[in-house]
Amino acid sequence: MKAREKLDQLKAKLGPAIRRADIPSDHCLFVFVEASALKAVCEYVFRDLDARFITSIGADDRSFSGSFLVAHNFAFDRDHLLCSILTEIPASQPCVESISTVVPAANWAERELRDLVGIELSGHPYPKRLVLPDGWPDGVHPLRKDIPWNFVPDDYDDEREFKFDEPPEGCTVVPFGPFHPTLDEPAHFRLYVEGERVRGCEYRGFMVHRGIEKLAESVLGYNDIPIMAERICGICGCVHNVTYAQAVEAAAALQAPPRAEYLRSILLELERLHSHLLWVGLACHIVGFDTLFMQAFRIREPVMWIAEKITGNRKTYGLCVIGGVRRDLTPALEDELRQVLARLETEWQAVTAAVLQDRNIQKRTRGVGVADRNLVKEAGLIGPVARAAGVGIDCRRDHPYAAYDRVDFDVITAPDGDVWSRLVVRAREVFESIKIIRQCLDKMESGPIQLEIKDELPVGRLGISSVEAPRGECHHFVITGENNRPRRWRVRAPTYQNLQGVPAMIKDQQLADMTISLGSIDPCFSCTDRLETIDLRSGAVKVWSPEELLKLARARGIAAESSAKESDES
Amino acid sequence: MNPNVIRMIAGGLANVVVVLLIAPLCEGILRKVTACLQSRRGPPLWQPYFDLLKLLGKEDIESGESPALQRFVARLALAAALTTACLVPMGFPAPMNGAGDIILLIYLLTLCGICTLLGGLAAGSTYSLLGIGREMMTMIALEPLFAIALLAGAVHAGSFRLDAVLNGSVYAVPGIPWSGLILLVVMGLSFQAFVQRVPFDISEAETEIMEGPLMEYSGPKLALFKYAQMARLVIHSALFAALFVPWGSGLPFPLGWLLFWAKVLVIVLVVTAVAATHARYRIDQALRYFAGLLVVAFAALALAGYGH
Repeated sequence: MKAREKLDQLKAKLGPAIRRADIPSDHCLFVFVEASALKAVCEYVFRDLDARFITSIGADDRSFSGSFLVAHNFAFDRDHLLCSILTEIPASQPCVESISTVVPAANWAERELRDLVGIELSGHPYPKRLVLPDGWPDGVHPLRKDIPWNFVPDDYDDEREFKFDEPPEGCTVVPFGPFHPTLDEPAHFRLYVEGERVRGCEYRGFMVHRGIEKLAESVLGYNDIPIMAERICGICGCVHNVTYAQAVEAAAALQAPPRAEYLRSILLELERLHSHLLWVGLACHIVGFDTLFMQAFRIREPVMWIAEKITGNRKTYGLCVIGGVRRDLTPALEDELRQVLARLETEWQAVTAAVLQDRNIQKRTRGVGVADRNLVKEAGLIGPVARAAGVGIDCRRDHPYAAYDRVDFDVITAPDGDVWSRLVVRAREVFESIKIIRQCLDKMESGPIQLEIKDELPVGRLGISSVEAPRGECHHFVITGENNRPRRWRVRAPTYQNLQGVPAMIKDQQLADMTISLGSIDPCFSCTDRLETIDLRSGAVKVWSPEELLKLARARGIAAESSAKESDES
Repeated sequence: MNPNVIRMIAGGLANVVVVLLIAPLCEGILRKVTACLQSRRGPPLWQPYFDLLKLLGKEDIESGESPALQRFVARLALAAALTTACLVPMGFPAPMNGAGDIILLIYLLTLCGICTLLGGLAAGSTYSLLGIGREMMTMIALEPLFAIALLAGAVHAGSFRLDAVLNGSVYAVPGIPWSGLILLVVMGLSFQAFVQRVPFDISEAETEIMEGPLMEYSGPKLALFKYAQMARLVIHSALFAALFVPWGSGLPFPLGWLLFWAKVLVIVLVVTAVAATHARYRIDQALRYFAGLLVVAFAALALAGYGH
């Protein structure tokens, strides 16, 4: 009865501001509030009720309700409750009060909805462009429904440059990225360095936008999106895929069969295994310990092979659809999976024993990149970063999904909040994942793996879902829509929040610790940058002039459009 | 012409050729053994030769602040390393014996480091400057160590001559050679830094500052820097062997020569093993470490002065 309880608390405190509420289940609460009271409600939820901020969503709902929608999602982790505070904003004046002053974690999410949906934020502390590329004209907002998915603005200005802030006095600027040996993907940190110490930084990312949300809302269908969703990330494919499916299932009140839930859990844990092994390897590479980097990758490889045998893909792709999964585990595969786990367990025990006693690695990681409890709360940090700061949040336990309510496991925490603690947490979580997969294999009963969906999905329903990705909570928000596709689909990958904690983590640290501090959140820029438009400025400028690139992009866009039309017709 | 001079020049040239031939092989051995430690197959032993040839054949891109200086420094780096090679015994007594002494040797060793500094300075990018900042701090703490070891040997030998010092002179005292033993430990503990390998490859640290001073170099210039670095591994190993592991150097020709290169190989293998099992230190941690060693080294020099 937690959802009811929270709603009563809200009503008692801010009664007149609450227009209506919806409690689809005991773990989910939607509250529609007056736009004028949005900030007060969020402050009450975040500060007094001590909820954790998840993300903010903006939606263009003009053609359906005549207004824009803004939602701020929060989680009550101890009460197993996800909560969405929504408000409607008149189409004539798309402006809402910013909550970033009281909920600092909402900084990026609010700027994103300003960039993409065009809802102005009054009183935002840092209303700078976040997502749109530098040359994109002001006043054009790609996620509005009147903008087609392949729209290229005529007044796109190649010459326009991003205005960085002035560096503090006495500091030199060290550009970190967009290309750096330890960044697998482009992102730019402008570091302000005094000698060898980092005094601050400015982040400019979102360079590999692929317009995934826009595509889903305008071109794809419900069951195409899982295939697109898993391509948001090169590591947590299954995570995005399952989160999306669960959000739609929650909106449409569907329940996947039990065997499918077990299979989802198994695949999610396999993904955590290979992700954590990869991370430990990369972290060692960053501090120059390449031997363990190579060994971690060797130990990881069998996990990829078994994933290929199960899903047909080396990565855990192409498994989950709305209402279930596409492939079953055969008894032979189950045996093989158990063998892989047994070998992995022994090998990983040897590695953890060696690493956890290594003074050399401790020297480079202890007291480095510290994120304490306070930063975790203020920046909304999640996953191993939060758990390494002693904040025991884990969606598998707090917001159980798939088969996690039927298995037994520990949430690993560490006290210090530094890179070393994150290493310890991830190294130990590997054993918990092995434990979970074994229990799933033991408890799984035979049965159907897909739900038969006979009717069209209902329109205009809200669904939210959180899944514990290897890097932290992955959160999807869906409003179901017409034409067999969602009206709005918002993805919040874990790095989106954790990256916002990095400037505080690296401040006043040695420059040499920058890479390992950033690496310790296991940043995934493709997850963070999943959004709108192609950055026309990137690419080999010396070979292609920006105009040529623009032409090329337009030609491709038109070709893609016509082929999409053809396939629609056929 | 004086036959002594001819022998000197021929011997020096022989050393240069030997270093040029063997340095990439040592690098190849280092890579192969590293690969074995990491459960990899690794590149073939002669891969470094191909790498150098490939780099030498590439287009020479001028990408730094002062291209002329960059061209000069790339050549100077290898030249300094090879000149040093002329002063170091490699299976035979040092060829330039008499033409140079250990003071010159100390200067040349420092010049190798200064080339890296100049290279980074000439390139002038932010990361290069960060790299030379680190290199400079390392040099100040590190270079005295080798100088002290050589000086202690000179004090014991009572001479600055190369053949007198570079023949285990650090142990040349009656009784237990305390200063020599202490310096052996100190040099052993800092050897990775002299050959710029993990855990002390701080000034180049690829994953932090993207090769630092070398960042703007590619093609032939990079080949020269890389060649100089490979030569440095051989030359420092040879110096270490000559100064601290002199036993058997008096053996007749093929035996003494083979034994010497066997010692160098063992040193390279130790360097490889240490590099493969350590994480890189941060500059402040490394400096504190070097400072400690420096204090001990000065104490050893004082002991040497009192004849211990």
